[in-house]
Amino acid sequence: MHMSGSMQEIIARRAGIINTFKNELIRRLNLPYTPEDLHEDVSLLGAGLGLDSLDALEIVLCVENCFGVKIPDGNVAVLRSINTIVDFVLQTQDGGAR
Amino acid sequence: MRMSPIKNVFAAAGAQFAERLDTAVPLTIADPATEYHRIRDAAGITDFSFMQKFRVPEAKAIDFLDSLLAGNVAKTRYGRVLHTFLADDGGNLLSDCYVANNDEEYIILCESIADDAAIDAIFRRAGSEKAGVQDLTLEYALIGVDGARAWEIMKGMFGADILGLPYLSIENYTFENEKIRLFRAGKTSEFGYLLMAPASCAAELVSQCAARAEKSGGGLCGLSIHNDLRLEGRFFNIHAEGKNVGDPLQLGLQWMIDFDKGAFCGSEAVLKRRARGLTHKIIGVRAAPGIDTLKTGASVFHEGKAVAEIVADCFSYILNCRLGLAVFPCEIAYSGLTFALGSPDGPAIQTVSMPPIMPKSLTVRLDEM
Repeated sequence: MHMSGSMQEIIARRAGIINTFKNELIRRLNLPYTPEDLHEDVSLLGAGLGLDSLDALEIVLCVENCFGVKIPDGNVAVLRSINTIVDFVLQTQDGGAR
Repeated sequence: MRMSPIKNVFAAAGAQFAERLDTAVPLTIADPATEYHRIRDAAGITDFSFMQKFRVPEAKAIDFLDSLLAGNVAKTRYGRVLHTFLADDGGNLLSDCYVANNDEEYIILCESIADDAAIDAIFRRAGSEKAGVQDLTLEYALIGVDGARAWEIMKGMFGADILGLPYLSIENYTFENEKIRLFRAGKTSEFGYLLMAPASCAAELVSQCAARAEKSGGGLCGLSIHNDLRLEGRFFNIHAEGKNVGDPLQLGLQWMIDFDKGAFCGSEAVLKRRARGLTHKIIGVRAAPGIDTLKTGASVFHEGKAVAEIVADCFSYILNCRLGLAVFPCEIAYSGLTFALGSPDGPAIQTVSMPPIMPKSLTVRLDEM
């Protein structure tokens, strides 16, 4: 499929963060899935993957270690799905999220 | 036609009914905005009695259910609820299921896109008679209590213990000397409870829940508004994207499947597709305010070619725009991209990360109440 340069750029940057995060999430939480099995919009806590508060802590550490980005305490909105985490990482890297 | 034990309560409140798989279901009661805010801001009481309800005695339940459903019933602890699905032999969705491990029984609630006869045939083939499966669908009502303040209603009805129930759990309570099975579950992203009540006391139970809801600005709701709430909260909806796509892998429902357990209904087809790898998957899209053509069936264009189709849609009152879900080729199934809707020159839509809203319930700390 033909894609413009800017579209390719957006996809490449996002895909890189997604792949790193999924692989690290599976490894740290010992999830019985492949990266392809994890849809980026699947709910992480409660519904969906059903992760608990300890897992949430592990996710926060995972994001910090992988991307050098700190998720503020109690920011449950960021932890809702892989995509919401990736959005936060991208915004922070661009200087837009605090 | 199948009738809900609480149909009269909703009919008396002015509900508009429609037929869904030989069952009369209340679709609307008030205007959509009113029903939406009842649930997002207070509590909405909805009749989910159309869902099929089964009881399986514990002794033979696990083998039967694990041979039928995609999730791992054997690993579901006492008092907990498994969210999984039933598929046909082709590995396509038939039913969105809750399976509750409730002491000496397992309770299965099925929200299906196949009729009772089709579900019954699959159950029989899997050995439902030998497992002692009882169909409780006609004998019980299923009352949904959803909303940012739904917990207040449940606390008032059944006591403060209710606040300690984790999402996807089951507990038994008594109402008018009858056993009520209470599921802590829901698909609106607000607090949610499903009350499985015997027909004999269901009308009184729903009336009391509605009276309490009205005091906080809530009230009765129809099923239609749940389509919008589910999409906005990115909960799976078998009546929308489930029916229109069918393949649980394209729908991103791998989390409902235990790939390591033995065979289940449709597992051969699902595992073959998984081994081949995904070519398409579902993602969220959003139109600008005022664009009202983001509707199911509309095509999504990229550089003059149709590349995706809208498979679910809703209006988000929080975002003041239409949202949808569309199945894209995996190579472009990413959030943050712009496409054209309806035609190569149609209005722009953006792919978005889901869920796009923050529900009030996520800011409530029940342990501090």
